[in-house]
Amino acid sequence: MQKAIKRWFPLFVLPTVVAFIISFIAPFIMGIYLSFTKFKTVSNAKWVGISNYTKAFQDSDFVNALWFTVKFTIVSVITINVIAFLLALLLTKSIKGTNLFRTIFFMPNLIGGIVLGYIWLMIINGVLSYFDVSITYDASYGFWGLVILMNWQLIGYMMIIYIAGIQNVSPDLLEAADIDGATNFQKLIKITVPQVMPSITICTFLTLTNSFKLFDQNLALTAGAPGTETQMLALDIYNTFYGRVDYQGVGQAKAVVFFIIVAVIALTQLYLTRSKEVES
Amino acid sequence: MAEIKTQVPVVDENGVKGQFIPKRDTKKVIIADEADTKVKTKMESKDIPFFILLIVLACVFIAPILLVLMNSFKGKLFLSNAPFAFPDGDSFVGFDNYTEGAEKIGFFGAFLTSVFITVFSVALIIVCTSMCAWFIVRVKKWYSQLLYLLCAFSMIVPFQMVMYPMTQVASNLKLNNMVGIIFVYLGFGAGLAVFMFVGFIKGVPLEIEEAAMIDGCGPVRTFFLVVFPILKPTAITVAILNAMWIWNDYLLPYLLLGASETRTLPMAIQYLRGGYGSIDMANMMAMIVLSIIPIVIFYLACQKYIIKGIVAGAVKG
Amino acid sequence: MRKLTKLTAVFMALCLSVSAVALSGCNGSDGGNTSDGGSKLSSDSKVDTSSVKEIYYLNFKPEISQKYEAIAAQYEKETGIKVKVTTAASGEYEKTLTTQMANADSAPTIFQINGPVGYENWKDYCADLKGTKLYDSLSDKSLAVTSGDGVYGIPYAVEGYGIIYNNAIMDKYFNSDKKSTEFSSMDEIRSFDNLKAVVEDMTKIKGDLGIKGVFASTSLKKGDDWRWQTHLVDVPLYYEFNTGGNALTNCLNAKELAFSGADNYKNIFDLYTNNSGTDKKQLGSKTVDESMSEFAVGDVAMVQNGNWAWGQISSTKGNVVKDTDIKYLPIYTGAEGEETQGLCIGTENYFAINSESDPAKQQASVDFLEWLFSSDYGKKAVVNELGFIAPFTTFSDNEKPTDPLAKEVLAWMEKDGITSVPWVFAGIPSEKWKNDFGADLLKYVQGQTEWAKVVENAKTSWAKEVQLKAE
Repeated sequence: MQKAIKRWFPLFVLPTVVAFIISFIAPFIMGIYLSFTKFKTVSNAKWVGISNYTKAFQDSDFVNALWFTVKFTIVSVITINVIAFLLALLLTKSIKGTNLFRTIFFMPNLIGGIVLGYIWLMIINGVLSYFDVSITYDASYGFWGLVILMNWQLIGYMMIIYIAGIQNVSPDLLEAADIDGATNFQKLIKITVPQVMPSITICTFLTLTNSFKLFDQNLALTAGAPGTETQMLALDIYNTFYGRVDYQGVGQAKAVVFFIIVAVIALTQLYLTRSKEVES
Repeated sequence: MAEIKTQVPVVDENGVKGQFIPKRDTKKVIIADEADTKVKTKMESKDIPFFILLIVLACVFIAPILLVLMNSFKGKLFLSNAPFAFPDGDSFVGFDNYTEGAEKIGFFGAFLTSVFITVFSVALIIVCTSMCAWFIVRVKKWYSQLLYLLCAFSMIVPFQMVMYPMTQVASNLKLNNMVGIIFVYLGFGAGLAVFMFVGFIKGVPLEIEEAAMIDGCGPVRTFFLVVFPILKPTAITVAILNAMWIWNDYLLPYLLLGASETRTLPMAIQYLRGGYGSIDMANMMAMIVLSIIPIVIFYLACQKYIIKGIVAGAVKG
Repeated sequence: MRKLTKLTAVFMALCLSVSAVALSGCNGSDGGNTSDGGSKLSSDSKVDTSSVKEIYYLNFKPEISQKYEAIAAQYEKETGIKVKVTTAASGEYEKTLTTQMANADSAPTIFQINGPVGYENWKDYCADLKGTKLYDSLSDKSLAVTSGDGVYGIPYAVEGYGIIYNNAIMDKYFNSDKKSTEFSSMDEIRSFDNLKAVVEDMTKIKGDLGIKGVFASTSLKKGDDWRWQTHLVDVPLYYEFNTGGNALTNCLNAKELAFSGADNYKNIFDLYTNNSGTDKKQLGSKTVDESMSEFAVGDVAMVQNGNWAWGQISSTKGNVVKDTDIKYLPIYTGAEGEETQGLCIGTENYFAINSESDPAKQQASVDFLEWLFSSDYGKKAVVNELGFIAPFTTFSDNEKPTDPLAKEVLAWMEKDGITSVPWVFAGIPSEKWKNDFGADLLKYVQGQTEWAKVVENAKTSWAKEVQLKAE
């Protein structure tokens, strides 16, 4: 049977593989090479060694974007997960209209980043106009604006994963705890949380990568203003490629650094999930 | 970009290690619609404060959308001065913002472009990657293994990494148009889609296919008549994930179609910011309403599949 | 799972080495070829353009994008060649151009460079225009962007900017019995001190004058701050670099910026922001568009901008400014000898033809530009619709622009004893310098940073950008 299928290789595999090579594999390899060159178009690259990397780290915008991104990621991962988890707890109680609530909380997740950005731009500027300022007045406004936006978008999504996790907690354990006279809080900490650990890992990771790679929302909400103070990594890389003359090589170098960070996060997550599962 | 690329977390253990082990039932997460089937118990009185809290929260969640809707009927000036006031005699402009905005950005053209690209990309992704995944599972050779690994690997690579060279490669191959971009989406969507299909196909018993083959079906017929129908649940998940991603994607179409007059919806909305010197937030609100309506309809119609699909994507992906 | 991790690692290492080896080999053959690929265009030995169906112009000026579209339609009617006009968003021209140039066959055939610095960035894409009629008919050949023997950028509009004022409001002030200055007409305002006295007095009695402030808002929104980080800074740059020889050349060659005119800059900038109808905290979200509307509806008396803004003023709903009331004042900053200073006049708009595009398309693009600046329809459109003061001999005296701002610019150019300020800002080392300066101005106006810091940053950033360019 394997042989029979193998003969149909061109039909089964080729379209995907060709597309995959064109849009991913080839650009990926070129990208690594180009990060060591000076280029405007891919065909006129000149080897410059690691100078693009040194330039990238000397670029205050990049370093600033890196810190901004890290700070933003930490804050939004915590807020999103805590709120989503609490919501999930509420919704797993026997409360009327759970489905309706779920529908409402989840909806923002389906709206695209650009649109989300402008929705919140209007609201935040509206609130701030009572204080005679706008979101570009101070970098911290942009920061919290992005955090709120991210929360609005992702809480519903994470909540649903948590709901699934909580529903899966063994009722026997909870009953046993009741008999032992455990308080609700004790039950939560000792039983529910450990049992939904897999969901927690998944959600943490999802919020982590989503926040870290944020682009559309950043572009639409502040576009980096004031100055480049609220510019996150993805936007900084984009602006380096297209906004600065002769800086494409540096942009590519930044992109490689960005990739390495994301890859490290992903592999750490993988490792953690594995070791957790082994434990349980 | 890619909501999709972010759904990467856990590489399912069936992935590599469990190559020859039939997929075991994962005990971890049971998908949300369990809640539907659960017997509804009566609400206890101590839960009423929580119920009220939930209602308040739901209002907070829905408020931004209502605000957008409300402001889409107000004049530009009133929007920046009093964004939280209801439209009244002075500020109400009827559907002016809708007609003006739609004309400025070519809304209906952009809408059709988005529909075209999304529908055909998703269709192509489903057909091509499911075939590819079946091949990978059934033909156990080094190259199918390598391809699978590359797909898994591609999921952790951020778009910015390949953005610049990809744009140039695509334009050299003349893929920078409405049809070409579908092919590019196939390449970008391949990673996750192949990965999910492979995970599923591994659990499909070989016997059915063998029986079909013995009955004289060639691989192509076997695949489309026997295997593909079995893949339906995963196909729906993959379709929803990709549809959400492609519909909302901004950067990829901007880079590939930017020079032509074709715009997708997110591009058209972003164009409202730049193309006319300043942002006309009133027009913007109207266009946002128009672009959200299809999403809301789609969501309410296939809510069950969407939530299930997106969560399945998160857990398996 | 560990296996996957390992395999991934191995794969990554492989990719690195493969790409490094494979691609570094192509270096020799690929590198550097494109730069001499620029073709020479000439109007005599014409390339056959019959195959060309469409050319593409990436327009720089959002305020006249619709007018270009009308011109393009007429050209298509006359010649059958479609001219696609796309306009880059405000402050996004370089970014848009970079994105689009990457797509070889949908790239613009006509684009725009902003002078010698722009040419440096795009020299691989600029065709030599020396042999074209367009260059021939340039009234002052020294205006073109040249390099060696070649001509790579043709200016198409001489423009001037300064402080635009609404004379009706000024007259109201001069005739007001509440005023406490001695001035009786704008002709007497010949220095920063004069201007300051009048402006501050006007602010005191703004209620009586029926205005919200003297100056329109100092738009410092990202991408809308060019009036300050490029145009206004031109005045101090001019005084700093006008030390013999060509000021622009001096500026281009300057490794460092002394910013000796920083105090002058602060003078006028503070005057703008202190006497405006808009709260300082709101400036970060204001656009040029909004400031022009404030001026047009009569909320303010003055606004700094150039003659291209007439369209914006006249098309504002509720415009109350009459043609005859709109006048120009030079930007006085308190510099020595500014009594003879005129408007800031120059050009940063140069047409360039994309040398990487198909030769026939390049020729067709030149044909279009020649048509625009020499045919009757084209000339009329340039004068009346686009509002350019076109520096070509094909325009006779009675074909000069009729819009009030352009007329004022011409009048100032011809005044005796007045020296126009050239556009030295074309010598600013990079866009990044301007953007950073603009961001600092915003912080300064919001009280988040000291002026001394703004000056210091401007200096260090200048040195850094010059150094980066040299690499």
